[in-house]
Order: sequence, then C-alpha cells, then structure tokens
Amino acid sequence: MASLSLCINTQTPLVQFLRPYQGDLLDPASRDPTDLGTLREGVDYRFSPGGVTRMVYPLVRRLLKEGVLSDAHWVALNPKAPPTVRLGAMTLHNVTIDVERMAGYGKVKEAIWSRIHELDPKERHDDLFWTEAFAEYAYYNRSTAELIRELDQRHDFDVFYVHDFQQMPVGHMLGSLKPKIFRWHIPFDVEAIPEQWRALLTTYLDGYDVIVVSAEKYADSLQALRPQGKVVRLYPYLDPADYGQPSRATVTATAERLGLRPRDVVALVVARMDPIKGQDLAIDAVAELAEEYPRLKLVLVGNGSFSGSATGLGLSKSASWREHLESLVRERHLEDRVVFTGHLPQEDLDCLYERCRFTVLPSVREGFGLVAVESWLHGKPAIVTHRAGISELIRDGVNGLLFDPERAGDLAKKMRALLADRSGKLRARLSRNGHTASRLCSLETAARAEQEMLVEVTEA
Amino acid sequence: MVGLGTLWVWFAPYFPVLVIVVVTVVVAWVTDLIIGGLMRQSTPQMARTARRLGVVVVAVIGGTLVLQAVGLNPTVILLVIGLLGVTVLVALREPLSNYGAKYFSDIYTPFKVGDTILVQGVSGKVIEINPMTTVLLSENDQLISVPNVALIRDVVVNTSPQKWKELVIPVSLSATVDLPTFESDLLKSLTKLRVRLDPRFPPVITTKAVTAQSTDLVLTLMIRRPEDREAITVEVNKRLGEILERMRGGLRSARAPES
Repeated sequence: MASLSLCINTQTPLVQFLRPYQGDLLDPASRDPTDLGTLREGVDYRFSPGGVTRMVYPLVRRLLKEGVLSDAHWVALNPKAPPTVRLGAMTLHNVTIDVERMAGYGKVKEAIWSRIHELDPKERHDDLFWTEAFAEYAYYNRSTAELIRELDQRHDFDVFYVHDFQQMPVGHMLGSLKPKIFRWHIPFDVEAIPEQWRALLTTYLDGYDVIVVSAEKYADSLQALRPQGKVVRLYPYLDPADYGQPSRATVTATAERLGLRPRDVVALVVARMDPIKGQDLAIDAVAELAEEYPRLKLVLVGNGSFSGSATGLGLSKSASWREHLESLVRERHLEDRVVFTGHLPQEDLDCLYERCRFTVLPSVREGFGLVAVESWLHGKPAIVTHRAGISELIRDGVNGLLFDPERAGDLAKKMRALLADRSGKLRARLSRNGHTASRLCSLETAARAEQEMLVEVTEA
Repeated sequence: MVGLGTLWVWFAPYFPVLVIVVVTVVVAWVTDLIIGGLMRQSTPQMARTARRLGVVVVAVIGGTLVLQAVGLNPTVILLVIGLLGVTVLVALREPLSNYGAKYFSDIYTPFKVGDTILVQGVSGKVIEINPMTTVLLSENDQLISVPNVALIRDVVVNTSPQKWKELVIPVSLSATVDLPTFESDLLKSLTKLRVRLDPRFPPVITTKAVTAQSTDLVLTLMIRRPEDREAITVEVNKRLGEILERMRGGLRSARAPES
C-alpha cells in the first residue's frame, strides 16, 4: 500500500497558544508556518487536554512513523493561533472566525450537545436548524470546508478524517469524491434526536463513506437513520507508553502539595468541569459515606474544555459548574473532604492515579470514558456509570464496578464495596482484569484497526 | 543547368495554391484550438466531434479556394459547400436537438440525479444527465438511456416520495464571492420564509462544482404546500439576488481606496 496523505479535522486544536502570537511569537507578515520546535511548551503553547492529544495525535504520529501516512495536515478552530504551525511531519492549520459568529456557533453546538446528551428535557431545541445562530454554525463549518478544499488543491489528500459532531457538516460541504471518514465521539441515541433534526443530520452523515462510533449500542442506534456510509465501532484508545509510574517519593510529595494527608483514602474523579460529568453525584456519595469513612477524600481533577476555557473559545460553562460544585460542598459540610485541583500536568495526574484507592467516572452521559482505561493502566479499579460507552466493556464485579447515576445511593454503594475491601482482594481482581480489558483500548489495537479502515476506504 | 529564374517561371502558376494550402492548414489548426477551448466543459466525445467538424469545414473552404485557383467554376463549388452544410445539419439533427433539450430540461424539468422517474414507459433512478441523454438505472440493474429530447416532448413522472415538496434552485457564484458569508446570509434570510417550508427539512446548500472562476451550488428547500412552489421560487431567487448584490457592494467598498 502506498503512503497516504491525510487531512484531519477537529474542532479542538492539538495545540493552544498561551500568548498572543502576533508580533510576539510570529511576524504576522510571514507566510511561513510557525515551527513549534522553536517555541516553549507550557510558556508559549500547550497541548490541548483530552482526546485530541491523548488519542488522535498518538495515532497520527504512529501512522506517520510506520509509513502508513506520508504527511498529515490538521485543520482545527484556533482563533488565538498563527494560521499555520509545523509540528514535526505534521502541519496544523488554524481556522479563525470573529467573536460574533463564534457566539452563534457556540450556541448551536452547545444545544446539539445538550440535546444528544438529553441534559434538559425542557430545552428540546427542536427548531435549532432554523435559527440565525445556525447560520453561524454553518459559516464556521463552511469556512473549515473551504480551507480544507484549498489545502486539497495544493496537497492532493488521499483521505479526509473528520472528528466530532461540531464538524459534522464538513464532509457534505467539501463536495469531494475522495474518501471521507467521520468519527462521532459522543453518545448516539436516535431516540434523543428530534424529528426536526433527522433529515439534516442524515444529509450531513451521508457526506461520509465511513462513520465511526465508540460503542456497539451507538452503532446499532445510528443504523436507524440508514446512513449511506458504513458504520464502524472502534473503541477509543490511549498509548500506554504515555502513562509513567512515578517514584514513591514523587507521589508523596505531589499528594502533600495537593493537600492530601498520608492516611487519606482517595477517590479520584478526572473530568472537565461540566454538568454532564456528574461530579455532583460523587460529592453526594462522599457526603453519604463521610461519617462511616472519616478518612475518605474526593479529589476532582480538571477544569474547562477547549470551548469553555480562557485559552480556548471562552464559551464558559465550566466556571459556573465549578461554583455550583463548591457551593454543594459547603452545603454538605465537606470542605475538608473534597479537593479541587483544576487542570494538572500529566506527571501530577500520574501521581494521583498512583495515590488513589480507586477512580470514579460519574458522568450522567459519556461518549466512552477513557479515564477508566487510564485508571486500569495505573492498576486502579474503576467505578463507572453505566451511561458511559465503556460500560459495555465492563462486567460488574469482574473488571470494574458499574452504577446507575439515576438511582440514588447506587454510587455510594459501589464506593462502599471498595472501601470495605480490607483484604484488597476485590480491588486486586478488578485491577488485574481491568488491565487486561485496557488492551482493547490501546493504541496498538486501535492503530491496526484504523490502518485497516484507511486501507479499506481508500482502496475499496 | 536550370537557373532560379527558369524554376520560378515553372512554379509561379502554382504559388497561390501553395499559399491557400498553408493558410488553410493554419486556420484549421487555430479553429481546432478555439473549439477545443470553448468546449472544455463538454464531454471529450462531444468536443472531439465539434473540433473535427470545424477542421472539416475549414478544409472544405480551403479546398474550394484551391479548385477556384486552378480555374474551376466557383458557383458549382458554392453549391457543393451548401449541400455539404445541409448534409451536416441533417446528420447531426438528433444530437443537436438532444443538446438543446438538455439546456431546457436543466431549467424546467422537476427531477435531478438521484430521483426515480417514469418516462416513455420506462422507470429508473436518474444516475446521469449528460448533453445527449439522461441515464436511468432500472430496478433490475439495467442502464436505460433516454434521449434528452424525450424529456421535453413526453410526460415525465417523478415517482420519488414527496418530490412535490422539493424545490431545487441552482446557484452559480463567481469565485470572488465569499462562500461562508453567502451561505450564512442565505440561511438567515430563509428563516423568514420558514412558515412556508417544511420544518423537518431545513434548507440544504450543496456544492456541485468548483472551478477557478466559479462555484456551482444547489439550494434544496422542502415546501409545505404545492401551490406555493412558484411563489417561493420567485421569492428565493429575489433574496439570492439581493444577497449577491449586497455582497458585491461590500466587495466594492472593501476595494475602494481610502480617502
């Protein structure tokens, strides 16, 4: 098979710029791409937290290294970045739209997000595609499609790989006969999609030859829309090599710095600050267990997403959610039992995974839930909401514990099972079997599947 | 030994013929190039036929002039050319009428690629509309070629479900028009017609072709009531014109030098 030229499209950029680039990091008159190698990570830029950096980037790097790809161009929304950035063999192209249009775009994508996750039954957004805000959503996607088309004229890509629901119209808008793959990262339940959305959604999805989803149940549900493209289930993945085991001394020092005492029993939640992530359920569970387990401490790691953060799009919902959680903590008198760390660098996160007794994924809806895999990679058992895509990989009591976020006290019950496991037998079993399950979500497994998919779609 | 003067005396009567032949060859070559350029967007077969026709016409004219130069009667020659012209028209009657029918069917017939139609007793999904024929794919995987002229002359039934609702409006934009802004403005404008459109089918703008000079789009709307079809078409075209005019105005202002 000849090496492929790939164009990737995500909303979240791989790299976020921490300082204004004009006149500082880059001569605005320069047409040359900014070379990321000449800038300082953590000072000038940072890699976006989440799936883009943890999943897509390692895959592209690997496929480039193995010669499956000859080159990769990555198009993303990044208003605060230079137009083009070089990163090794990859070129990052940044889309910019003005603040007014961004507001409309953000409104629509949040509404789609909210509806698909069934967050607020009163807010159905049935007429969303008829609003003026939708015109801005279309503007952003058309701008992206136009940039990709222009790049295609220069680089003659072999395949387009579009990620996530925000970018869904891009395939249709490209109007290209070349193969197009779309990865739908969030949950997919056809019942959650209003009748008024289905025709347009189908039109957009029909712009792709392959639609990838993260769980079997999403694939089954998607078939109800009868998309023209092939529907493929591919579990999200991580590169285990990215997860180091810090020394005991480092773990102790980090824990101390974050306010954890040596005898604290730590339950860890790693999730961005978002109502959908269900941190409030974990706080409620700790409140229920607080008296019974006086050394139990809940650590909440994470802040806003790219959309919600100050370095991203500034469509902040994370700040208000954190305020809500903090008031909940005060209300439950748990000030000394809950720690908010905000965003942490990977080394600190590795220390917390090592330090915790178990992890909790309390989301009320979750496309997949790679944090459970991270937990397994660190040998820690995970308690997982059965509303997460990853729940189809978990056998309750065998390689993890499942709970129903809608049943009061269910999470506390599962936490109690691990807290009461004085011999550590249950934890050891869950960790061991969890580690085995994590192989299904490893870069190794996924790279093979992704490569097969790329070959099939380009050579079919 | 024969001198140059003697050679010229021998060659002089044939010199005009040589000039005509050379000019004919050059004109035929230029004609071939021009027709090829003009028919760049046509199918290769169509372009080849037209280029050949152009070269033949030039060759016939050149040949006539040569015959005239050697002393034959031009009236007879003109008659021959006229007869040849009529022959060509008669020979190409069918392709020419199909080509014309395609032009009209693009604008007036209510079907497009992807629809299922019934014409002259045959039914199938439209998979191609070329300058000569419309190609249908029947249910038993047979290709059916319907001459375009038949689509103008005969009754065509579009049997695709709810096709009466579908309003397909082609839009051709110059490359200078900013497509994202155009699309955004058009979608905003169409929200005003929402009560006349089916709420389950928001407007869809599809890219059909992009060249260095233009972008061809198709706007698809689904109407609520069949009797609104013509009025909505007129209204949408009016709005399209207004948006483009506004954008052209914006472009002019953007290009105007600062005072």
